[in-house]
Amino acid sequence: MADLAVLKDPHVTPVLVEGDPSLHKLTSDVAQIVEGINRKVPVQWYMALAITGGLTMLLGAMLGYLTFTGIGVWGNNQPVGWAWDITNFVFWIGIGHAGTLISAILFLFRQKWRTSINRFAEAMTLFAVACALIYPLFHTGRPWRAAYWLLPLPNTHLAVWPNFRSPLVWDVFAVSTYATVSALFWYVGLVPDLATMRDRATGLGQKIYGALSLGWRGSARHWRNYEMAYLILAGLSTPLVLSVHSVVSFDFATSVLPGWHTTIFPPYFVAGAIFSGFAMVVTLMVIARWAFQIQHLVTMKHLENMNKIMLATGTIVGYAYATEFFIAWYSGNPYERFTFINRAFGPYAWAYWTMISCNVITPQFFWFKKLRTNVPFMFVLSIFINIGMWFERFVIIASSLHRDFLPSSWGYFTPTWVDILTFLGTFGLFLTLFLFFVRFLPMIAVSEVKGMVANEQMHHAVHGTAHGPDTHNPTPGMAPVTGGSH
Amino acid sequence: MIQITKKLTGKKYWRSLDQFYQTTEFQNWINREFPSEAAEMLDEPSRRNILKLMGASFALGGLTACRRPIENILPFSKNVEGFIHGKPLYYNTVMSLGGQAVGLSVETNEFRPTKIEGNPAHPWSLGSTKSYHQASVLSLYDDSRGVGVIGDGKASNWDAFTAYVKNLQGQLGNGAGLRFLSEPIHSPSFAAVKRHAMTRFPGAKWVEYSAVQTSATAHPTVPRIAFDKAAVVVALDSDFLGLDDTSVLAVKEFSRGRKITDEANPVMNRLYAVEPQFTVTGAAADHRFRLKASEIPNFATALLGALQAQSSPLQVLGQNNASKALSAIAKDLLANRGKAVVVTGPRQSAAVHQIVHQINQALGAVGPIVTYLPATTDQTRPQLDAMKELAGEMAAGQVNTLVMLGWNPVFTAPADLSFEANLKKVANTIYLAQDADETAAVSKWVVPAAHYLESWGDAVAVDGTASIQQPTIQPLWGGRTPAEIAALVSGYKDQHAYDIVRNHWLPIAGGEKGWKKALHDGLIRNATGAATTATASTTPTFHTSAPAPTPASGFEVIFAPSWSLFDGRFANNGWLQELPDPMTKLTWDNAAFISPASATKLGVIGGDVISIERNGRKLEAAVMIQPGQADDTILLPVGYGRAKVGAIGEGTGFNAYSIRTTDGFGYGTGFNVSKTGRTYPLARTQEFEYQEEPHLVNFQEVAVRPILREGTLDQYKKNPHFAEQMVEHPPLRSLYGDYDYSKGQQWAMTIDLNSCIGCNACMVACQAENNIGVVGKEQVARGREMHWIRIDRYYSGAIEEPQAVTAPVTCMQCETAPCENVCPVAATVHSPEGLNDMVYNRCVGTRYCSNNCPYKVRRFNFLNWHSNEHEVTRMVYNPEVTVRMRGVMEKCTYCVQRIQNAKIAAKAENRRWLKDGEVNVACAQACPSDCITFGNVNDPESRVAKTKLSPRNYAMLGELNTKPRTTYLAKLRNPNPELVSAAPAAEAHHG
Repeated sequence: MADLAVLKDPHVTPVLVEGDPSLHKLTSDVAQIVEGINRKVPVQWYMALAITGGLTMLLGAMLGYLTFTGIGVWGNNQPVGWAWDITNFVFWIGIGHAGTLISAILFLFRQKWRTSINRFAEAMTLFAVACALIYPLFHTGRPWRAAYWLLPLPNTHLAVWPNFRSPLVWDVFAVSTYATVSALFWYVGLVPDLATMRDRATGLGQKIYGALSLGWRGSARHWRNYEMAYLILAGLSTPLVLSVHSVVSFDFATSVLPGWHTTIFPPYFVAGAIFSGFAMVVTLMVIARWAFQIQHLVTMKHLENMNKIMLATGTIVGYAYATEFFIAWYSGNPYERFTFINRAFGPYAWAYWTMISCNVITPQFFWFKKLRTNVPFMFVLSIFINIGMWFERFVIIASSLHRDFLPSSWGYFTPTWVDILTFLGTFGLFLTLFLFFVRFLPMIAVSEVKGMVANEQMHHAVHGTAHGPDTHNPTPGMAPVTGGSH
Repeated sequence: MIQITKKLTGKKYWRSLDQFYQTTEFQNWINREFPSEAAEMLDEPSRRNILKLMGASFALGGLTACRRPIENILPFSKNVEGFIHGKPLYYNTVMSLGGQAVGLSVETNEFRPTKIEGNPAHPWSLGSTKSYHQASVLSLYDDSRGVGVIGDGKASNWDAFTAYVKNLQGQLGNGAGLRFLSEPIHSPSFAAVKRHAMTRFPGAKWVEYSAVQTSATAHPTVPRIAFDKAAVVVALDSDFLGLDDTSVLAVKEFSRGRKITDEANPVMNRLYAVEPQFTVTGAAADHRFRLKASEIPNFATALLGALQAQSSPLQVLGQNNASKALSAIAKDLLANRGKAVVVTGPRQSAAVHQIVHQINQALGAVGPIVTYLPATTDQTRPQLDAMKELAGEMAAGQVNTLVMLGWNPVFTAPADLSFEANLKKVANTIYLAQDADETAAVSKWVVPAAHYLESWGDAVAVDGTASIQQPTIQPLWGGRTPAEIAALVSGYKDQHAYDIVRNHWLPIAGGEKGWKKALHDGLIRNATGAATTATASTTPTFHTSAPAPTPASGFEVIFAPSWSLFDGRFANNGWLQELPDPMTKLTWDNAAFISPASATKLGVIGGDVISIERNGRKLEAAVMIQPGQADDTILLPVGYGRAKVGAIGEGTGFNAYSIRTTDGFGYGTGFNVSKTGRTYPLARTQEFEYQEEPHLVNFQEVAVRPILREGTLDQYKKNPHFAEQMVEHPPLRSLYGDYDYSKGQQWAMTIDLNSCIGCNACMVACQAENNIGVVGKEQVARGREMHWIRIDRYYSGAIEEPQAVTAPVTCMQCETAPCENVCPVAATVHSPEGLNDMVYNRCVGTRYCSNNCPYKVRRFNFLNWHSNEHEVTRMVYNPEVTVRMRGVMEKCTYCVQRIQNAKIAAKAENRRWLKDGEVNVACAQACPSDCITFGNVNDPESRVAKTKLSPRNYAMLGELNTKPRTTYLAKLRNPNPELVSAAPAAEAHHG
């Protein structure tokens, strides 16, 4: 919220909204995406939905086939008990991290530039978590049991609690908490904008938006409660950014398997998750701002900042890779040592070097301002990073499992067509949810952006009259956001 | 209309011609008169009718809910003595395979045989079995056996066949055109039928042929080698621990000499193996030398010369240091005169056997160690001569009736005899078929053969021990025995197998009481109560006309029985098809096994298809690289590549018989081999071979893994604790605290690597006991085989001259099991008796436990492995063990069902603790070398507690603090000090 974003020096105020739009224009720019230009939904939306919807149905078909036939339709085997399933799970969970980071941590650190992208990134979090949750359930041999046996339900059927020593149970708590808090945070943030939509909509839409906006009228009391709730949720979400992926990494770190049994995993996984999440935000944002013509709301500054974060986290990830190798050598553990040599030079070397080139080398280009402000370039790079981060999880899982302690049990994993189509299907689900999101909800937090604009305009005004530069809390600029009067 | 499906007894009345002929008109009339379902409502539906019907339906509907239709059942009043439902009964019987009778004890559950155990009372097998015997119970339930009687290609029945044979008898005259073809007969009652047939038809001939020669069938005298008395054994192309014998007596006796019984003063025998292919005997050997089979005669001659100090100039022997070693071997043999023995295998000619006999005489082994027993068949001619003659007569049209009682001669006959083509010239062919195989396809009459578990018979072991083969179930597919068919054709006095066997043995066994005792004991005792025995002599006789191919340019092909299919008869047995080859771990196929150098020479890698050709006969087979194979030789196991076989054996492997001829029966020389450019997928259970990734720098890393620990006898004498000192690790602490296992019965196991020969018997025994699924080739290739116990095989030393070590690996029942912590639903938990229990019902299948198992012994049901099973095949399941559904994890349970049963039995006797040996796990029970010991480790008197005290005892991957209950006793080799410097320092490496 803009009232918390204290600007010390207006001279370095970043250009976060370009073109100095009126507040009304802002509202209608964003709302029009939902309502359609002249209340008509563009045909491109339907075309896109047809494709992603088809992929989603493919996902359903693959999961149905899997459930009715068995895990054997995938390529998993002994020793590679987990393969694409958990790779994709960690991949999608990681993607979600950017959303929470932008919403919560950047909020608490009062990074104003988050406002234009936070809604979008949070939605991405939710949809990514939805995709991720498919895997832990469906990768089990008996999902119809796993669906509730992992939950601590008091029941007479099993007469036992879940095994609280198992990191998979920790996972259940971590991920479900994460999903719940993220959803709440997102929804609370949406309330003022839903009210805006309510006020602009007619007919059934008005009723639905009305119900969802929880009677928001924009009174000062509402704002006060709202901001407190938002702050509390931001506070709750912040540890989750760190905890979820730490717990996910415990799935590996607490095992005995060389290549998994590593204390560096929690920070390394969190950094990787943020890295991959930002890459995904950039990928999608570059498309969205072009498709919906909101370059003035999601400016180059946003993209550049995200690229900087990618540079930072990507370098952390690279450092973690190096540390793993160092420790493997330094520990003197022959199994550990072999695992890492095998990772880099064994049968999965191709995956390892794909990972290294995508995750370590690619972000280094962002040292150059020219490159990190070049939209097509960053788009391509963000896709490389997405690929690289998928491979990171695959390398950790498959290359550690396929050759562990006893050479007699070594094997190799190759995916089947079901593996591939299931993964493709999750992209279908992810994008379908996104299409529904941009179609039915304001993809940019209008109320917050308006706060920003008001803030900037006030700064200009204040600056112009040579008053003290330190003006904050532009509350008057925020009040009308629900009125639709602009 | 009432449907009468069952045959009614009594007179059949008919009312009209129409009914008699069942015309359409009559059927229509019947249907009109007595509609089978009262579907039509003839009247117009009126309200009154509807209400009436509804009321009636309601009332009747209520009535049916009250009680079920009465179906009377009858009590099981005529009971088997001592039979309790749910408790298994054991019957002693005998199985004859490859000329060896092995005494068995068959477990039957509700009258279904489900598990084969050895009969410990049988002196020729001492309670041990091979994988073939263990798996034979699955063949019983093979649905492809149900061929029925087929006459002239049409389904027929036994009555028609009997009528046909009766008619045939009249035409046979003195039997000049009649030939019988059977496997070598080791059954005295069958031999009596044979003698009768030969008397009844003096002009007839009876040919006995077996495609796989074992030491029991190769010659008229069978060497009886007391391996337990030998301190030094030299095996010249002899796989006496493996495939050269279908009895495991040699393994039993040899492994006694490998066991360290006196820890203070350890003694071990020493084994040298000189062989072309890598056999399990070679793997067990202290020194192994590669030599072509065709060069074995030279080696034997040279060895004899060296022993007789004639120092005859040696010819250049093979590609390695076998000749250099020869003098050292000779010295060692002479130093152990009277305790040393040289053996050779059935692949070698009579001349080699003669030389070996002379060597043994020179060593003073004949008598104390080697004696010769008469063959149990009365076959006096070499079987190949008889087969050649038979084929010639068939080709010349001199045979008009051929009765084939042995398994599949069309498939197994030497290729140069053109048996199939010649068979078509025979007017009357009768074939007793196991299934619809290659011979059945070209025979006039095909009648189903009974399995040994469902028919009466008998067999006499090489030492003369005779046993009755008593059935444990009625023939499932109406089969008969070879003796019955021979009796039918020859008009023997007894026609049924039971009578044939019983009437033969009743006088010998000493009447009804002796007969019953013979059935009960599983062997026939004579009047003095001793088992029948054969007389041993010290003079052997050999079939001298056996082929002895000489070295020639090109490749040499070694024909050996398959570890899985034997001669091919087990091709439709899923357990055996999926059983990995002991050395290459190949499943579901055979292959052309060649050495790495030969592969380089041919420019092929594993999976490439090569063409093996000689004299216009060509076989295309996939290559499998086998380190330790002699260069320029190819090992081709026979039995694969069946053209007509049940669904399981379809499309597996390559038919080695197609290039096996009478002049190259054991091995053939002068084959041309070329690369075809095609590839063939091969599925192995142990995939990693370092030679396949020479670029991988990790080989050294792999090599130093102290997994299977090995040392020499000298090393052991200097430092008995060398094995446990091989790993350095930090102090081991457990995060969750340790459970107190000092009380109660704590189950544990030791595996003595010194005596494991890697024969796979434990794997099949476990599969039978625990209802383990068969997954098929494609799934094995994907790495989804289900064996709860597997045999790990590692090579050490140079790639061309490796040493191999094998070890059974199964769930270690870790006290601090890594699998248990990570299961989210507590489906794998620890029992107070130290078992790592698997709760199938609770498992949701996350596979996390398998990922976290350092031994990778957990097996996941990736698919439903039991979906396509015939209902008869399902009869093989052990009712004590759950058949697991897809989606759950499974693993070795230490046969918990056996432990529970034993505990229940002990409790009935008011005992809390089981006596040592009261319960045994299936793998340990089957193990012929007794390398697995199981028991209660808290009982200081138990064998397992004692073996755990051995200084060789170590925990595999114990440095992970898993505290495994299964521990290993390090392997010791006893190399000849003179050869240690010459041989690569192999013992230091393990991988």
